[in-house]
Amino acid sequence: MGLRWYHFALWGGFILFMYLLPEFVSRGTLRTIIFANFLAVFAISWDVISGRTGYVSFGHPFLIGIGAYTTAILTKRFGVPVELSIPLAVLATMAGGLIVLIPALRIRGSYFALVTLAFMELMYQLVQVIRPDLTGGTRGMSGIQTLTRGAENGFYMSFTLLAVLSVGTWLLMRTQFGTALSAISMDEDSVAGSGLNTVKLKTAAFLVSAFVAGVGGAFYVHYLGSLAPRALFDINFVFTIIVAALIGGASTIVGPIIGAFFLTFLLEYLRPWLPGAERYFIYGGVALLLYMYQPKGFYAIIMAGWSRLRARMARRKPGARA
Amino acid sequence: MLLQILIQGTLLSGLYALIAVGFTLIFSVGRVLNLAYGAYLMLGGYVFFFISQQLGAPAVVGVLCAAVLGCAAGLLKYRLIARPLGDNPVAVEISTLILAVVVQSGIVLIYGDSSKILLPIVPGVIRVAGTSVTYNLVVATLASWAILIALYLFVQRTHIGRAMRAVSMDRKGAAISGVDPDVINMITWGISGLLGAVAGVFFASYTQLSPSMWVGPLIISVAVVIVGGIGSIIGTLIVAHIVGFMEVIVIAVIAPELRGVFTMGLIIGVLILRPRGLFGREEL
Amino acid sequence: MKRVTSLLAATSALALIAGAASADITVGFIGSTSSDTGLSTLRGAQIAIDEINAAGGVLGQQVTLVTADTQEDPTEGVKAYEYLAETAEVDFIISGSIDDVSLGWLPRMQEFQIPTLDTWTSYIGIIDMVVEDPELMAPYFMNVASDEALATLYINFGADVLKGQFGYDSVVILAEDTAFGGAITGLVTEALAPVAGIEVKDIIVYDINTNDFAPIFSKAQNSGADFIYQISSVNAQVISSQYVKLQVPMMMTGVNVAALGMEYWGDTGGAGGGISTLSPVPAVGFALDDRSQAFVDTYQARYDSRPFYPHFNGFNAYYGLQQAMAAAEQAGGFDDVAAWSAAMVNQDLVLEKDGKMWLNYGFWDQGEVEPVTGRTYPHNVKFDLEAPFDDAQPSMVVIQWQEDGAVGVVYPPEYANMEITLPSWVE
Repeated sequence: MGLRWYHFALWGGFILFMYLLPEFVSRGTLRTIIFANFLAVFAISWDVISGRTGYVSFGHPFLIGIGAYTTAILTKRFGVPVELSIPLAVLATMAGGLIVLIPALRIRGSYFALVTLAFMELMYQLVQVIRPDLTGGTRGMSGIQTLTRGAENGFYMSFTLLAVLSVGTWLLMRTQFGTALSAISMDEDSVAGSGLNTVKLKTAAFLVSAFVAGVGGAFYVHYLGSLAPRALFDINFVFTIIVAALIGGASTIVGPIIGAFFLTFLLEYLRPWLPGAERYFIYGGVALLLYMYQPKGFYAIIMAGWSRLRARMARRKPGARA
Repeated sequence: MLLQILIQGTLLSGLYALIAVGFTLIFSVGRVLNLAYGAYLMLGGYVFFFISQQLGAPAVVGVLCAAVLGCAAGLLKYRLIARPLGDNPVAVEISTLILAVVVQSGIVLIYGDSSKILLPIVPGVIRVAGTSVTYNLVVATLASWAILIALYLFVQRTHIGRAMRAVSMDRKGAAISGVDPDVINMITWGISGLLGAVAGVFFASYTQLSPSMWVGPLIISVAVVIVGGIGSIIGTLIVAHIVGFMEVIVIAVIAPELRGVFTMGLIIGVLILRPRGLFGREEL
Repeated sequence: MKRVTSLLAATSALALIAGAASADITVGFIGSTSSDTGLSTLRGAQIAIDEINAAGGVLGQQVTLVTADTQEDPTEGVKAYEYLAETAEVDFIISGSIDDVSLGWLPRMQEFQIPTLDTWTSYIGIIDMVVEDPELMAPYFMNVASDEALATLYINFGADVLKGQFGYDSVVILAEDTAFGGAITGLVTEALAPVAGIEVKDIIVYDINTNDFAPIFSKAQNSGADFIYQISSVNAQVISSQYVKLQVPMMMTGVNVAALGMEYWGDTGGAGGGISTLSPVPAVGFALDDRSQAFVDTYQARYDSRPFYPHFNGFNAYYGLQQAMAAAEQAGGFDDVAAWSAAMVNQDLVLEKDGKMWLNYGFWDQGEVEPVTGRTYPHNVKFDLEAPFDDAQPSMVVIQWQEDGAVGVVYPPEYANMEITLPSWVE
């Protein structure tokens, strides 16, 4: 896996810093960070499929929604305890991931993007039409059991989730599995030609992505206490997730985290100055400009700056020529 | 009942064909999904509203302004987004998605989020076979057919049109034989924008104008592209009729609330069973 | 050293200002600042606050208003509520949210226990929550009649006018495929039909993104019913404008949420006349008492962007905010939620016109049973479902838009100022 001391140092430092954060930061900011944490989880989940394998999905909320609705219906309508409903929700989401996988085995590129969009739209329609007594129909559901009360507990829960999922996914991507996935995005036929089973690889990637999405979606709905199809199966939600992952840096774990935090805070901090619709216009505009300037995201910018710094430091070492 | 379905289906399908053909064009020639295509419709509709309803100019002027603005928007989009990110279709698709959201926010800023109904371009209604048919929709369908036929002739007979077909078949080959893909792409995006804006005027005059109206036509266009395959213009026309008639039949015979489910089901079904679409990869 | 001193001075000055500011009463607005609905509530609240401040404030303090925009998105609604609660630390929240946004932030209201008034959301399910858990829902009030009450009074319209005056025996229901559509459909089939003696010939449910209503109207005509009862809260202008453009030869009435504001005429380019719809009070075209008229005059003098006339929830916000402040005066503030809630429930504002009760803003208490429906509506605005409407205002009136753009109240007779007419293309 090639783990170095500085990997531990950076992850450890980050996690420690975040756990100490509630001491210094207001509850309002913690609330914003909680949303950023969840968005980061969703962005990481999206990135596992779309960033790594190159199968860009425009319907990722399809998976998130399965996780959210499953646990919401089980806990609210059937009284199933949360300890059981969340794992069931994750399993349901992984089943959903396999459903999305089927077309991915036959089509690629833009067609795949379209079919994922169609899946999400279909879920939006189905949730309203099929058993609205269970799903809450167009209005959605309210009064769903919440796992935590208060900003601090919500923060600890959401950040623990993010830490576990991101470190886990990060480790996974550093294995040969991760390398193979990246290879698929570059040239799938070569990967197949080199003897690797691309079907198995893709299946694994979709399952991992669905796992993260399911866990994220289930905890998300238990944090919000409510859900609505208009909020979940919405092209704006797609936009937020994709932009978070891309602006932060696709094909990385850190990238989606950076992107999620940047975007969430951008929108929230504009609120006192521009209370209305201007926020979204600026938010979208900034996202577009950033993406066009550097499609590889902040991560690439940071890495480029870091290597320039290292180069300069190397030149300064004694014995090296000036 | 059957006559009603035939009439309503034909009218709706004509409109859907006009909506989808601009999207097909970009996908076929430019090989990229323009997810902000719906925004052309929105821009066209709002420009028409502004010129014809708020300023009071005649409808024809409004449609022309919409067409010009749509063409300009297409060209701008090509220059500022599609060309710089040229070799990365995913980046173009994502940029267009972001752009669509930005345009939506912009419309909300200017007009608020209320929906508006456009005055009909041609007022009046006629009763045929027990169903009411508005002149507006008849005009829209006739205009759609006229535009599509004109486009077909343009693509088949003119020099530029043949160049577009060449690029849609084989980009590199076309470049070798002297066609400049860049110019062709620019023209295609311009035409696509123009078509989208005009389609938007008709679509909005038929349903309503709202900041979120770009999603519906996008889904329709997506359905047509997927079900038909990378389409020819004829293919687009045929598939638009399949989608349009299916909608009318679902509403009239099966259950109106399942309209959306059936459309999505059709898309997914075709993608799973015959991913190339009914007509496969055709050139323009 | 100098920098440190000036920094200290600046910080203490800020602290002083912050300290003084937190002594104010802060009201938070939650809703969309880009929609007519949200703006009606926001402006109604703003005018009420200005009048209160001019009269000396509440408990000796001035009232300030903080805005949290939701863009009518449920997730943004949660963020907005959290912002108001934890960052702006408001004392009271006035909401112009729509149904699913309110449902979105409701769990937060339950957690933070901030006194909240909903002016537009009318979902009866929320009132059911107040019935089930009075303590948890103590801070919540809804001063628009809940949708069940709205539809129930409509049954009398069916019996008196549709059956009595027009002689209609049968109806076809055209309902949008939403929870709201389903709920009202249930009320019509269970109550309108038996009570008014009108048979339901067919129920046609349509997808909210339907572009083409021609096949749906054809189906409605083929059912052989006498009139159409439409239920439409999303994209409602599409069905009503297509009804007019297609000149469907049946009367169409029911619930059309787009027709509840004055902009309906301008927005539809005039393609909206002929339909009637129920509306909460005070509706468009409603004759106003003096105080409400004064509110409208202030509103129109002050605001020159749409909506040019407040929607009904603007009035709800204007009066509701005053009542909330009055309740705070009685309870000594907003901090003791139980005390404030008890004071709010007892608020009773009667607006008279020509010497009799015209509008009445009051609240149902726990355990107060409404005689017609036989159930309780705690924390919902008081309404009367039986003529002569002397216990409270009616839950709704029926308004009609006519083909020349005129709008007025056609039912109940005590409030009517216009005759109901059939559109010119219906014989």
